[in-house]
Amino acid sequence: MRPTTRAARWLLLSLTSMVVLVAGIRPAGAVPVFARKYGTSCQTCHTIFPKLNPFGEAFRLNGYRLPKETEDQIKQPAVSLGSEAYKKIWPKAVAPSDVPAFAPFALNTKMTTLYQSTLDALGRQVIKNDFQFPQEVNVFTAGTLGEHFSFFGEVTFGQNPDGTVETEIEHAQLHINSPFGREHLVNFKIGKFAPDLEDGFQEMWLMTDNGVDTLFTFNPIGLNGGSGLSEENAGISVPASVQGIEFYGVALHRLFYTLGMTNGLGPGPNDTVDGNNKKDFYARVDYKFGGMGLDGDTQGKKLPAENWRETSLRVGLLGYSGDGTNIDFTVDADPNGVPLINQQDRRYERAGLFASWYFGDLNVFGVAMHGADRLLLLDATTTPEPPISTTTRTFDAWFAQADYVIRPPFQASLRYEKVRPADDTVRPIESWNVNFSFLTRANIKTMAEYRFDPRQTQNYQIAGVLRFAY
Amino acid sequence: MKRVLYGALFLAMTAPSLAGDIHGKVACKGVRDSADAVVYVAALPSKTFPAPAEHARINQLNLVFTPHVLPVLAGTTVEFLNSDAVLHNVFSPDACADKFNLGTWPKGETRTFQFKKECVATLLCKVHPEMEAFVVVLPTPYFTVTKTDGSYAIPNVPDGSCTVKVWHPKLKGIEKAVTVAGATAADFEIAR
Repeated sequence: MRPTTRAARWLLLSLTSMVVLVAGIRPAGAVPVFARKYGTSCQTCHTIFPKLNPFGEAFRLNGYRLPKETEDQIKQPAVSLGSEAYKKIWPKAVAPSDVPAFAPFALNTKMTTLYQSTLDALGRQVIKNDFQFPQEVNVFTAGTLGEHFSFFGEVTFGQNPDGTVETEIEHAQLHINSPFGREHLVNFKIGKFAPDLEDGFQEMWLMTDNGVDTLFTFNPIGLNGGSGLSEENAGISVPASVQGIEFYGVALHRLFYTLGMTNGLGPGPNDTVDGNNKKDFYARVDYKFGGMGLDGDTQGKKLPAENWRETSLRVGLLGYSGDGTNIDFTVDADPNGVPLINQQDRRYERAGLFASWYFGDLNVFGVAMHGADRLLLLDATTTPEPPISTTTRTFDAWFAQADYVIRPPFQASLRYEKVRPADDTVRPIESWNVNFSFLTRANIKTMAEYRFDPRQTQNYQIAGVLRFAY
Repeated sequence: MKRVLYGALFLAMTAPSLAGDIHGKVACKGVRDSADAVVYVAALPSKTFPAPAEHARINQLNLVFTPHVLPVLAGTTVEFLNSDAVLHNVFSPDACADKFNLGTWPKGETRTFQFKKECVATLLCKVHPEMEAFVVVLPTPYFTVTKTDGSYAIPNVPDGSCTVKVWHPKLKGIEKAVTVAGATAADFEIAR
């Protein structure tokens, strides 16, 4: 959700010690389109969908193609839009390509039974005990368009408690794969997508139902700096989804990099998606030791037959930088909601470390991130400049998660998250997330998930989730 | 007299044959099946072959060139028939086929082109860019196209040493020295 300068809203600073358990629209990430295209099980690429195994990660980074793909691996031949021979006479003719022969759509349905306890602004316990059948339905589309293009799309329909449906385009992206240079080295992605800045820990790549809220929904806005989590009227911690252009690739089988440019905070007052005329930028570089190469390379490696197992360590450095100039957040308003004091996050920067260790049936991964925000307080009733104050506030967020394959249908996950807010008058926000998943079938999973705040016993959520994809 | 005749008959039956056949299988790796590989005998020293009087044929039916791969002896004229209810065109982007373009013509009509030089000529249709075929113009009349399972047989190949080559629209070609002596087996494996 994005703030707006037109709305007069209060920031809910009382959410300091509360984990906002948002049972709203979340990415789903498993695409049966590929099962049909290649005539293969979901488990070729996923441990428990949507979490990708090493082969699935290589498939994704390869533009949704099998590593070293050959024609005989494709069970649904594409429709040619032009013979390969047209390359010889380009530009006297259009370059050749192809499209999937069958409409490449898949559905994913999520049912949830939710028991949730939270504290409201006055510290009163609020209990929810809810069947959400369905909670959401996702329509996916994905595939390749000839040799150098691929695409991924997701539209989510989330059912609100009153029966109305909220629709969101979660993904709409075109990839340009290896247009020049060595294979895998240079790729582009344009559209709306989960940035590869967050490869491995954004919600669409986790096996748990809950995402890492302390990382993604920490709100850096506040009179004393950020104090809590919020998806509403919030600044950016790291964005779970971006609208932008990304440049990414794999070099020497094991080095991954990404550079991206995105809109940042928005929408803007002039009917723009971007809230100002500045862009945000991000970058990440990883190296993987051991295991399958990030491009699917297995030369010289003896890998176990169980495709979720390997011995590897992937480490990465990530950074995000943005500019929120002229994007106002109301931090104080009169009783009628008219803003009195606004805050701008003029410069926000994040730097972090990612690591993922695979050892047999165990995968332990996590991120440690440091954030800094240059916050300006501005008088909303008169000429805003010069600002009332300018401060730089910092926060630290980290999480560690362990996923374990007990047996292929049975997997467990344990995650600890913590954020030390910028507002040093409030205590850190922590949560534990415990998940047990049962892969009933390759495309049907049930989960029991328990999320709780270790310092606040009345702040927890127990969810039973059923997901099926087809 | 009868003894002479029987003796001559005996000699004819037991004398070694002067031509044989080459047969075998081509395994095509990385593609859906092993059809469409052209197996042929490369140029034979001091041997030339006159262009055949009979024309070869390629049909355009259901927006597809049939056959997809047509091997011919150099000098062969190929007739292109349009059997579809839409206009078709035939052209080649390849210099070895003089980048010919036969124009566009309706159902029932035929245009021709003589393939004089050894060449692999890609055939395209400007009206329907997905249509594609190959005319493989060869130096000898000893050639064939593999079946779906990769099997092939080239009859009436003169006995003796020769080079047998394999060409495929998508895979890397290969060649092998073969000594033909009657029925001769030669298998190949090709890949990207």
